[in-house]
Amino acid sequence: MPIISPFIIYILRKGAFIIATFFAFLLVIFALPRAIPGNPVAALLTQIFQQAQANPDTVKAVYRKFLEEFGLNKPLHEQLFDFISRLMGGDLGTSIAFYPRKVADLVASYLPWTLGLLIPAILVAWAIGNLLGAWAAYRRRTRVDNALLPVFLVLSQVPYYWLAMILLYTLAVTARVFPVAGAYPPAMSPSLTSTFILAMLHHYTLPFLSIVIVAIGGWAIGMRVLVIYELRSDYVEYSELLGLSDKKILGYVFRNSILPQVTGLALSMGTVMGGALITELVFSYPGTGYLLFRALSTLDYPLIQGTFIILVSTLLVANLIVDILYAYIDPRIRVSYVGD
Amino acid sequence: MSEPLLLGLGLRASYVLRIGEVRAVDGVDIEVPRDAVVGLAGESGCGKSTLVNVLLANIRPPLRIKSGKILLDGVDLLEMSREEVRKKVWGVKVSYVPQSALNALNPTKRIIELVKDAITQHTPATDQEVVSLCKRRLEELNLPTDSIHKYPHELSGGMRQRVIIAISTLLNPRLLVVDEPTSALDVSTQKQVLKMMLDMKRNRIIDSILFVTHELPVLRQVSSHVYIMYAGKIVEYGPADSVFFNPLHPYTKALMYSVMTPEPETRERGLVAIPGEPPSLLMPPQGCRFHPRCPYVMDICRSSEPRLVPVGEGRGVACFLHHSEVAS
Repeated sequence: MPIISPFIIYILRKGAFIIATFFAFLLVIFALPRAIPGNPVAALLTQIFQQAQANPDTVKAVYRKFLEEFGLNKPLHEQLFDFISRLMGGDLGTSIAFYPRKVADLVASYLPWTLGLLIPAILVAWAIGNLLGAWAAYRRRTRVDNALLPVFLVLSQVPYYWLAMILLYTLAVTARVFPVAGAYPPAMSPSLTSTFILAMLHHYTLPFLSIVIVAIGGWAIGMRVLVIYELRSDYVEYSELLGLSDKKILGYVFRNSILPQVTGLALSMGTVMGGALITELVFSYPGTGYLLFRALSTLDYPLIQGTFIILVSTLLVANLIVDILYAYIDPRIRVSYVGD
Repeated sequence: MSEPLLLGLGLRASYVLRIGEVRAVDGVDIEVPRDAVVGLAGESGCGKSTLVNVLLANIRPPLRIKSGKILLDGVDLLEMSREEVRKKVWGVKVSYVPQSALNALNPTKRIIELVKDAITQHTPATDQEVVSLCKRRLEELNLPTDSIHKYPHELSGGMRQRVIIAISTLLNPRLLVVDEPTSALDVSTQKQVLKMMLDMKRNRIIDSILFVTHELPVLRQVSSHVYIMYAGKIVEYGPADSVFFNPLHPYTKALMYSVMTPEPETRERGLVAIPGEPPSLLMPPQGCRFHPRCPYVMDICRSSEPRLVPVGEGRGVACFLHHSEVAS
């Protein structure tokens, strides 16, 4: 018998793997933006001095000053060391494009909008998709399935930004039922009043729907196949011949089919963060996708790094949570890795 | 003679597919008497498992019943709705133990949860009562009582098979239908499973067993009557001793020569494989379905199909070699 509980060992092993992955990721996210030609300070200065004719010497002095300020004149290995040691201290650095705002503050002000948009959208799509998929599978070879399957297939192949633009054009631009841009009316400032919340939901509807509708298709197709496969398993037939009701058996099948979908859910929690980038651009929604777009277009190294660190950390943590959930839901995994 | 427990009459059932009709059960009469172990033997793909499903009235598309009756205690199961059969027959009067015990149990439920879900469909018993019923039965059968609180994967194959048999028969059904219950088990485990089923019959937990297998030696140990099935039809039936001692149909003989038996003749003869393959049930051969593989094939076998005729001693055979009108 091990002295430490097998569950702790399981978590530690998963945790160690995640930390290793994170450090590998840090190297990549440090190197990739710097591999893009150009540098952020030049980009910023071009912007600043575009209008005003400036003395070339002044420009050069400012340029040097900025390089020093951001440590971009140091050799790469020192920059990397600075980056990681600051990160360990919880400092994501200062944005170049939004100078002098801190990266952490910027992310903190944009992230809630993304989370508020994506988490409900993913969960709703996941729930509806799985229920519809299971229903289609249960009614296989009937009109229900014959009608639903093509809908799922089309939805799953629709580009989400295309749907976003269609929704925006029809319901916002043409019909004027919904607002065209933003997360709330520009004249309002965020508060917990009912007027503000209603206005916010009004802005929320289209981006939310554009993500949900497309995501339903994929989940439903996956679940339909899983349930059809599961319905053919021996235990379904045996349970039936024991006299179990359809309802009970469907309960078994649903639970067993949903296991792979739980993994999928966590993964999409992580990846759709970046994937909503275009949705946020289409609706000018002030989320991390929008922020990331700004960061990339100005080559803002600290902001790119900071945004990605937040996104990737979320993905990794989501994975860890799924591993733990999985051990909880599936007794076979619980026994093999965790102990009963 | 009392009325048989289960009587299948003129059963025809097919898988109706786009490419055609697979006649997996093609005119079968079968009888399971009370207090008997009836063996049903044949190669893989001969229609045994389909016949089992038909006898259980477990008919699902693409399988369709073309004709026939299944009388259980005189009541025709094919006249009942699936719902009615599920409530009143399965698990109550007739229980079924599937081919693969490995996958027969829901992998994510403790066994007792399945038992509760099943028993409460048939009786108003509380969960507590189900648990104690289950434990009493396991004790009676010398199985570890804690096994019902485990997940299926935590039991060995043989234990799982015995537990399945035990929970299938909690409500003392009259008939236990077992489909290849021992095929996946090693010989010593097989023996335990067989012994347990026979004990259950002796203790009147069940009256009769319909034992489906391709393993003739197993049937020889346990059965009182046998039916030999080939290509969707019964080719020979009779009391087990008599059929095994003196097989009449060339297919029965071939089946017996293809397995190990303890008799010295087996050693002298060696094992003889049956030449050829079982025919496609989509397009069965003309005449006797066994004629392309039969060492005794005659002209008549190629053109007309032998009926299953009684030959005395409660035996019957479908072969022109034994039809008096042809032989004479």
